[in-house]
Amino acid sequence: MRWTVLRRFATSCLIAALALPVAARTRPHYGGTLHVEIEGDPWQRPDGLARRLVFDGLTALDANGQVRPALAVDWSSDDNDHRWQFKLRPGVHFHDGTALTSVNVIASLTAACSVNCPWTSLRAVGSSVVFVGDSPMPDLPALLASDEFLIALTVTADGKTPNGNIGTGPFQLTGFNNGVLALAANETCWQGRPFVDAIEMRVHRAMRDQWLDLGVGHADIVEVPAEMLRQAQQQRLTVDVSPPVALLTLQVSDSGPLANPMLRSSIALAVDRATLFNVIFQKQGQVTASLLPQSLTGYSFLFPADRDLGKAHELKGGLSTPPLTLSTQGSGAMQLAAQRIALDLRDTGFNVQVVSANAHPDLILRKLPIDGAEPYAALELLLRGAGQTPPIIEPGLAALYKAEHELLDRHTLIPLLDLPRAYASGGRVRDLHLLSDGTPDLANVSIEDAP
Amino acid sequence: MRLIPTFIINASCRAFVISAAVALLSFVASRAQTSSLWDQPASSLSDQIAAILGPGQAKLTIRNLSTIPTDQIPVIRKQLEQNLKAHGVLTSGAESANAIRVTLSESAHDRVWVAEIVEGNETQVAMVHFPLNAPARSQAQEGMVLRKETIFAGSDPVLSASLIQNSFVALEPEQIVIYSRTENGWHEQKRVSLIQKRPLPRDPRGILIPNASGSGFEAWFAGARCTGTSTSGDWAVHCDSSDDPWPILQAGDANASATLSAFYNSARNYFTGVVTPSLGVNLPAFYSVAFIPRPVGGAALLIAGIDGKVQMLDTGTLKNVSGTRDWGSDFAVIRSGCGAGTQIMASGSGEAASDSLRAYEILSLEAVPASAALSMAGSVTALWSAPDGKSVIAVVQSPTNQYEVDRVTALCN
Repeated sequence: MRWTVLRRFATSCLIAALALPVAARTRPHYGGTLHVEIEGDPWQRPDGLARRLVFDGLTALDANGQVRPALAVDWSSDDNDHRWQFKLRPGVHFHDGTALTSVNVIASLTAACSVNCPWTSLRAVGSSVVFVGDSPMPDLPALLASDEFLIALTVTADGKTPNGNIGTGPFQLTGFNNGVLALAANETCWQGRPFVDAIEMRVHRAMRDQWLDLGVGHADIVEVPAEMLRQAQQQRLTVDVSPPVALLTLQVSDSGPLANPMLRSSIALAVDRATLFNVIFQKQGQVTASLLPQSLTGYSFLFPADRDLGKAHELKGGLSTPPLTLSTQGSGAMQLAAQRIALDLRDTGFNVQVVSANAHPDLILRKLPIDGAEPYAALELLLRGAGQTPPIIEPGLAALYKAEHELLDRHTLIPLLDLPRAYASGGRVRDLHLLSDGTPDLANVSIEDAP
Repeated sequence: MRLIPTFIINASCRAFVISAAVALLSFVASRAQTSSLWDQPASSLSDQIAAILGPGQAKLTIRNLSTIPTDQIPVIRKQLEQNLKAHGVLTSGAESANAIRVTLSESAHDRVWVAEIVEGNETQVAMVHFPLNAPARSQAQEGMVLRKETIFAGSDPVLSASLIQNSFVALEPEQIVIYSRTENGWHEQKRVSLIQKRPLPRDPRGILIPNASGSGFEAWFAGARCTGTSTSGDWAVHCDSSDDPWPILQAGDANASATLSAFYNSARNYFTGVVTPSLGVNLPAFYSVAFIPRPVGGAALLIAGIDGKVQMLDTGTLKNVSGTRDWGSDFAVIRSGCGAGTQIMASGSGEAASDSLRAYEILSLEAVPASAALSMAGSVTALWSAPDGKSVIAVVQSPTNQYEVDRVTALCN
């Protein structure tokens, strides 16, 4: 009897609920504060989340990796790409009200790149910035979209050095307290005011705590490392995953004990990528032995990625090396991967010790960014990220393959895995998309229950 | 008497022969078409292989790492073999001192065909690449049928658009662009930059209304108003700052008995709810409104509020409308002549990767689907009734940030 009444009551409630008008999904709402949590430093290069929110580049990459105008509205090249002229967008102001001019753009670029720059000199011509290079710079528009060349105010209108990070981006820095970076919407942003009023970014937050906070509604967007993607799916988190945007690489010093290219070649053949992929990175991303991913070139399969211990032994021969040091950037899976690589190399007779941050390690396990749809520019950015000077490459896919082959033959960069980036979001987050570098486009996110 | 069955037999035979011939021709044509797809890359790759290998024998193997259907591999193989033979390279599947390993691969944008030419211990590489072609998509339709016609496509955002005389006028966030029709499609005729007092919001909106004479337009967007007039095909456009209300419903629009203007929040993406002339009721802030006819006569105002609720203002009272769960923020009225004669065309809720349009009729405060959903090539970012009321104009943003302007009409079953 009691169950019948309850059942009737439940049925009535269900019918009443179905009869009620349900609020439809609308255009994005303005307002509200977005709570984001990250494990790393928000200002770190090349993928610090705060940098893309506070600063803009002269150009930007759209979601497909194509170059589009940003602080520059137009550009042209002459003299066989030795000279480029970028016309600045009029009416843009930094967060402190200082107008964007060619002079402060040059000051920012000069501060960002003093040596090993893609250009030889910079010059202001009215509202344009002119780049001149000794070598052709065919990919300059794509390079200027990279994190390295975001425009920051270095000198205020009254000649002072500004406090903090001042850019032209959709958010401005308002404070940093108790591990929380506070950002406020830039009401006069040239791209339009962002939808949310503010972002509170909790930094250096352990991954476990990030997920707990997401679960109880204290965080709206948290990180999902590649190795935890499977776990996130099992927990039914709403996850946005990018295509491969980072190359897990073993960077090998070509001086000191590994100056002999035979030894570096032996190391390249001794690393077991399959174990890294299957065990440590939980089958996320792709095994690779090429610098650029298959999705950019279509020829990645030409570089064999299998471990060849016999040949590694053969190349090492009787050559002996002193104990080698291997350091890595990052924690968790990166540390495990470093340990695994050290074991792999011991199988070939190398004595490798994993060390914490070291000024001059023989080997560095790191992630290098792969950004954009233009393979030539992506390769140049990747090499710059590794501190190497990019070669001049003739146009054509075959020439690009040849250049990549020659670079890999040096065995100073040993590609291991192409990895995606991923973020999990809570139920009130709307329209979260990842940019071409895998970072979340927070300026276009809105909050479902914003006032 | 015998002629008739003979004729029938002959006619059947003839029909059979014709059908068989048509089928054969179609088959041959389709084979020729698919074969011609691979002509150029197969020829180019063969040239490179022959230049490396020179005349002689080689073992040819092909593997497919791409999305090329398996049934195409023999076609490609045949073309490669024929082209190589023309260069004096004889291929076979048998073991040989020389080997040609062809891999059909692809990147995100291109097909990449790679040949590894092995001569003894030396391997050389040749490659060709050519654009990937997007697969064609078909669409099933049922019920009252919605038909989409793409009027315009481009890479710049479009807020509103209209066909006026022989011109296509596009209102963009920072400019008005007028295109004239040519044999090769739309040709840009005039571009007028809009003077913005302040940056636009992130979801900018605008409205473009052809005037009654059909020789000009009024355009409204955040903080400004423009007028355009055409004289013998020459356009003059004039813009001013303006915070005046936008004329969102015109007399003569589908069932609009009078013009209704609404104040737009130029720092946001919605109308404030203040309308002129006043309707005697405090309206909520809204994204879209439309007049719809009532069975008892007159018209009611349908409102898409910023809270996601769809309400109807009928006889001075706001009432919730159910059945709008799948609606997005945009709708427009279409006078199809089907069913009740007038329907609401609503965009989808945007939950899926691609948006859709669907016709609804409002029966007793309930939205009832009157057509199947028409799949669009991305998100519907703007939706307005066409001046004739018999179609709607939709602006669609594709996932690759391309924009297209579609005219959607309804066909009665």
